[in-house]
Amino acid sequence: MAKQRPSLLLLLSLISLLLSPPPAFSFSDESPTARRILVLVDDLALRSSHSIFFDSLVSRGYQLEFKLADDPSLSLQRYGQFLYDGLVLFAPSVSRFGGSLDQSKVLEFVDAGHDLILAVDSNASDLVRGIATDSGADFDEDPEAVVIDHLSYAVSDADGDHTLIASDNLIKSNVILGDKAIEAPILFRGIGHSVNPANTLVLKALTASPSAYSANPKTKLSSPPSLTGSSISLVSVMQARNNARVLISGSLELFSNRFLRSSVQKAGSKTIYDKSGNEQFVTEAAKWVFHERGHLKAVNVKHNKVGETTEPGIYRINDDLEYSVEIYEWSGKSWEPYVADDVQVQFFMMSPYVLKTMSTNKKGLYSTSFKVPDVYGVFQFKVEYERLGYTSLSLAKQIPVRPFRHNEYERFIPAAFPYYAASFSTMGAFFIFSIVYLYHK
Amino acid sequence: MAKGTNDAKLLIQSLRKAYAATPTSLKIIDLYVVYAVATALIQVAYMAMVGSFPFNSFLSGVLSCVGTAVLAVCLRIQVNKDNKEFKDLPPERAFADFVLCNLVLHLVIMNFLG
Repeated sequence: MAKQRPSLLLLLSLISLLLSPPPAFSFSDESPTARRILVLVDDLALRSSHSIFFDSLVSRGYQLEFKLADDPSLSLQRYGQFLYDGLVLFAPSVSRFGGSLDQSKVLEFVDAGHDLILAVDSNASDLVRGIATDSGADFDEDPEAVVIDHLSYAVSDADGDHTLIASDNLIKSNVILGDKAIEAPILFRGIGHSVNPANTLVLKALTASPSAYSANPKTKLSSPPSLTGSSISLVSVMQARNNARVLISGSLELFSNRFLRSSVQKAGSKTIYDKSGNEQFVTEAAKWVFHERGHLKAVNVKHNKVGETTEPGIYRINDDLEYSVEIYEWSGKSWEPYVADDVQVQFFMMSPYVLKTMSTNKKGLYSTSFKVPDVYGVFQFKVEYERLGYTSLSLAKQIPVRPFRHNEYERFIPAAFPYYAASFSTMGAFFIFSIVYLYHK
Repeated sequence: MAKGTNDAKLLIQSLRKAYAATPTSLKIIDLYVVYAVATALIQVAYMAMVGSFPFNSFLSGVLSCVGTAVLAVCLRIQVNKDNKEFKDLPPERAFADFVLCNLVLHLVIMNFLG
C-alpha cells in the first residue's frame, strides 16, 4: 500500500497537468457565462466561512480556484490568453497583490470583457479602494468610517453601535435581482461608497436608508459626515460598455454564512424574518454578474423589398422595405428568445428619418416594414438597444438610396398639366389666329 | 391736382382715338399678343404657388407663350403700312415667315414638354 501510493500520486498529478487548462466550458460568445473563476482571499478560512455562497456557484457549474491575494504565483494571463473568466476579490486588506497581478492588470481583465465581484470591509486597503474607484464606486476617504444607521439597524444582541444595518432599499430590476421579490431585509456591516450621478454605467443595487451616515463609531463626530442618507450605496453594480459586469460591495460579511443563515429584525418593526434576504440577494446578483441573465445577442439582420427575398445592394426612394433581426437572451445554459415590445430600428443618415418599434413573433424574431423616405443618400439601419441590466445592442448596416431614374417618373406629371394646357392652347390660338387674319374682311 | 387727372383723362382719350384708327388686321394681331402674354403670366403665377417641380414643362409652357408673342409682334412690325423700314416687304412673305417660325417653335416646345 505504502509503495503503491507515490506512483498513484504521480499518476494523478500527471493527469491533472494534462487536464489544465480546462476544455470546452470556457467563456466564449456562444456560451457567455464565465466558467473559470479565480477567488482571491486574505485568509483561506474564508473558504469555509463563506461556503454557502461558493457552493452555490460550484453547483451552477463554475470552477473556482482559491488563492491567497499575496500568493507569488498569481497571474491572470499567460502568453496573452486569460486563464480565468471571472474574478472574485474577497481580499480587503491586501496592500499588494502577489505574482504579476496589480491594479492595472485587474482593470485590463475587466476591459477584456470579464466580470469582477469585489467585496471590502472596514480595513480596506488603498489597492482595493483604487480598484473600486476604477469601476465607478468611491469609498469614503476616512479609513475608520463605517456605515452607521440609528433608525434602520438590525436588532441583535451584538455591539449596540448600530453598525449592523438591515437594508431593503433594492434596485427595481428583475434582470439583476431575479423575478422573485426579496422579502427580508439584507444584513450589512461595512463601509459605504458613493456613485457619481453623472455616470450612467453604475447602478446602486442596495442603498442605505435616508437615516444612514458614514462615520467612525468610536469617536465623536467633529463635523457633519460627508456621506449621508440615500447617496450612500452599500452594493453597486456596473456594466461597462464592453458588457463586462462588476459588483462592488462595502461589506464582505454580506456574503458570509453567518449573515446568510441569520434571522433579521429591523429596528422599529415588529416582523422577525427567519432568514435574511442575503442569500437570495447574493445568489441572484452573482447570476447577473456572471452573465447568466440579461445577456443579449442579435443575429441574422435581414432587409429586403416587400415581396422579394434577396437583399438588394441599393434602394430607391419611396420603396417599401422590410427589416428583421433575431434577438436571443442567454439563460445560463442555452439561448432563449428575447421577448420585449420596445426594440426600435432607425433609418439613419445624420439623424433618424424613420424610427419604428419592431413587432415580435415571440420566438426572438423582430421585424417591421416601412417606406424609404423621399431623400437619397447613404443610410444605415441602426438598432441601439440599451436597457437597465441588459447588455447593450448596437447594430448598424449601411445601405445606399438612389433617386428616380429619368424613366421611373409618371408619364404625364399631374403638377405639369397647366403647362401642357398652355402649350396646346398656344398652338390652337396660332391656328385660329392665322385663319382669322387671312380671311377677315 | 385736378389738372393732373384732367391731363391723364385727355391722354387716355387721345390714345383711344388713335388706336381706333388702326387697321383691323393689326388689332387682331394685338389681341393675339395680349392672349399669349396673359397665358404666360398665369403660368408664372401657378409656378410661384406650387413650386417649379417639372421645370422643363414650366419652361416649355412659358416659352411657347412668349415665343408666339414675339413672333406675332414681328409680324405686326413687318405688316404695318406706316413702317418705312419694311416698305418693300410683301405682307404675304411676312406671314409665311411667321407660319414657318411658329412651326419650328411648336416642334421644340413639344419635345421639351417631356
